[in-house]
Order: sequence, then structure tokens, then C-alpha cells
Amino acid sequence: MTDSAELIHSTLHEIHVGLGAKFAAFGGWDMPLEYAGSGVVAEHLNTRSNLGIFDVSHLGTAIIKGPNAARSLNDILTNDINRINPGQAQYSMILNEEGKVVDDLIIYLKSSDEVLIIPNAGNATEVLAIIRKNLPTEIEVINLHQEIAIIAIQGPKSLALIKDLNLDSDLDYLSFKDSNFDGYPITICRTGYTGEFGFEVLVGKENVKDFWHKLFAQGEKYGIKPVGLGARDTLRTEMGYPLHGQDISLNISPLEAGLGFAVITAKPKFIGKAAIEAEKKFGVKRKLFGIKAIERAIPRSHMKVFDENDTEIGEITSGTFSPTLKQGIALALLDIKTQISDKVFVDVRGKKIAFEVTKPPFVESKVR
Amino acid sequence: MNTPDNLKYTAEHEWVDFNSETSITFGITDFAQSALGDVVFASLPKVGDKLSAGQTCGEVESTKSVSDIYAPVSGTVAEINDALTNNPELINSDPYGKGWMVKLADVAGTNDLIDAKQYQDLTAQ
Repeated sequence: MTDSAELIHSTLHEIHVGLGAKFAAFGGWDMPLEYAGSGVVAEHLNTRSNLGIFDVSHLGTAIIKGPNAARSLNDILTNDINRINPGQAQYSMILNEEGKVVDDLIIYLKSSDEVLIIPNAGNATEVLAIIRKNLPTEIEVINLHQEIAIIAIQGPKSLALIKDLNLDSDLDYLSFKDSNFDGYPITICRTGYTGEFGFEVLVGKENVKDFWHKLFAQGEKYGIKPVGLGARDTLRTEMGYPLHGQDISLNISPLEAGLGFAVITAKPKFIGKAAIEAEKKFGVKRKLFGIKAIERAIPRSHMKVFDENDTEIGEITSGTFSPTLKQGIALALLDIKTQISDKVFVDVRGKKIAFEVTKPPFVESKVR
Repeated sequence: MNTPDNLKYTAEHEWVDFNSETSITFGITDFAQSALGDVVFASLPKVGDKLSAGQTCGEVESTKSVSDIYAPVSGTVAEINDALTNNPELINSDPYGKGWMVKLADVAGTNDLIDAKQYQDLTAQ
């Protein structure tokens, strides 16, 4: 997907252009990477200290609807929908029969007959195809990917802004509510991908410009700033949140990625269950760890990691400069024998740079 | 994009300021810093290093990517901008001023340098 003419534009594209955004192709969409006069570091730090607004309309959106839709969907996805109630959201995954990750997604349980799902941009088509194929025909799969925009409102000042706008602010983490704003329907969710206290709002594309402008008008006193995908990636990496295609993929199992909490083998059925049970029985050989640079260097995906005897023990899946810690941080898939606080070495363009093994998050989570 | 007329440039997006016939200051252009995004590390050559034109002599690394720094001309490193160690963002905020990188003495091999107009044409492509 290199031809920008084929990329999908967000409804807010012209607004981003007006804000001097640089764009990047992501999952088939042309989305803001960073904004003029700001940049990744400033956008990142402002989200941690004030308020960051993200257009994440590239994320997939679909409704699964019909008699006992939730129960049928539960036979496909890894987490157990029975653990949540209507009005609550859950992190889940869709695997292939080999137990590898086709995608991770957030599901929003509206009722036993209706579930909203938010898969990743580039995987949405495949996720919906698999779900469609595995559901009884009387259950509908309604793809709203290009109908619904998603705006993430993240940071310590997000609650004050939501209250100012008279939106439902009384939501626990991972819960949501269908609501109204200035005469149009929205869904407000206490979710996010930054580790900050925050909200994600689903709004019809015909209303999203209005919503965006009202957020910025009201948010000025809170230091509101738009945030691009660049800072979205550094924020999520500081939290150790996996990104599909890097830290989880068709080559990496959820158990290797430390996501066993969202893979419930006690339930009767999900795609890939047999493979996961076998993997549990024999144990994983590698696991996702955090590593933190001791020296000045920025780790990047696919760089090799070595132990103190210069034996290769794995590779980096996501790496970046942490704007909060001012040092290189990474998620790395390493030999299972690796221990927290081990000293390891990353081959950074031919130089072996010392890192310390840690358990993410690299920065304290403030989501609750 | 800012491309001062009084400077010379290279195709590798560096600027060169002649302090005298045999001494220059160089850094990366406004175009380069903008393309890189937030610079978070800069590693520079050592004072006394003898460089030949085109030789890799350091790195600038941004949140997004890493780029080599090349000697724009031949010469001996006379001074480096130590401020970039703790404030690499000066390369973004003031690429032709406080974000300067290296001063070279005993300069030679200046034939491949281009002027501001040629550099603008190059970046417009």
C-alpha cells in the first residue's frame, strides 16, 4: 500500500491538513503521524501531562447483531464474554487454528443480542470475514468501518473536558454508554491506548467535524493538542501494550506475548483452542519482555538481542525512544530463561548496547 | 522550508557555512530536520578527527529513524557542538543556528557543494 491515491482518508483529513499534519499510511488509511509546531515528543508529553486528542477513525468498527449474538461470538474469540455485563468492554483476540494471532480487538457488550467490535485497521476485513463465516446465518455482521469515526480523548485533563461538555463521565475503566451530544448519537467509552485516564468516543462521520471543533473549543484551557500516530506508538510502547503486526502476529502466540489473561481455555470453544492447550502443556520457549537502554541508544524492531555470553536470545518486536524516560525502550521476544533485571545486549547497527530486562509498563499506568 | 542564500549545501541535506576559506561550520538543513522529526540523539565526530568529503562521521536519530552524518567537505574537526548531547532538539528548533554540528579546519574538497537555489530544486523534486 504505497500508492497514496489508494489510501482511505479520515473524515477529518482536511482538518489535519489545516493543522499541518504529516501523514503516514497505516492499515490502508492515510492518517496523521504528527502535527506542525508540535511533533512526537511534544504530543506525547502533552498527553501525559494535559490532554491529547487522537483521530483513530482508521480502527475498524462493526456490530454483531442477532439472537444470542454474544454467545455465538464467544465461541470465536479468546476471552470470555460471560465475564462482562452489558455496558462493559473487554480485550480479546481472534486466533487462527494454529493458535497465532489474527488480530486483537476490544469488544463492547451492548446486550446478549448485540456486540460492537473494534479490530485494527488493517485486519478489520479479515476479522469480519472469519466472524461471518463462524456465526449462524441469522446473526448479522454490520461493517461500519467507514461510517463511524473514533476520537480518543486521553490524559489527566480528559475527565474535566468530558464534564464540561456534559457527557457521561461516570464510567468505570472498560465501560461505555450510548449517549447524545448536541442532538446526535455518540458512544462514550472509558478505553484507550496510552495508559492515561481517558475516553474514546464513537461518532457518526457526518457529525465528527462538529464534535472535533467543540472538543478543541472547550479544551483550550486544558492545554488540548491533537496527537498523531507517532506519539500514539510511543505512548503505547511505554505501557507495554502490544501492537498487532509487531508484538503479536501470525508468528507470535498470545501466550508468548504474555496475553494469557485474555485466552480462556476453561470455556468450551474458541478458534485455536486446541493449539493453545498444546502450547500450555508443552510450555512456550520465548516470551515478550521489556528492555530498557542503559546507554544512549534507540532500539528498533527486528534488532537482535544477546545475553552476556554473546549468545543470541531473541529480537526486538517494538522499540522506540521513551519521551517520558528519555531513554531507549523496547518490547523483545526473548528466550524463556531470561530473568527480570538481566543485562542483555542489543545489536544497534553493529554496536552491542547494554539493556536491562524489565517488566512493562515502563511508565506507571493511570487508566483507573 | 528555510534555505538561507548565504550558505552552501550538499545533496545529503547538510549546510556549510564558510567562516574563512579554510574553515567551515556544518549541520543539517531545515528540510532534513523536518523530514527526520524530533531528534533525540546526535552523535558527532571527535575533535582532531581527519575527515574526507563524503565520509560518515556521526548519526542523528529521531523518534522515527536514524540518519548518518557525512563530512560535507574534507577537513579536520576543530570543534563540535557539545550542547547537542543534552539538547538534541536544537537541531529541530534552530538547524542553521544553535543546532550547528561540527566546525572543520584545513578544509579541502569543496567542489561538490551546491548553492541555495540548486538545493531548493533538489528538495522540490
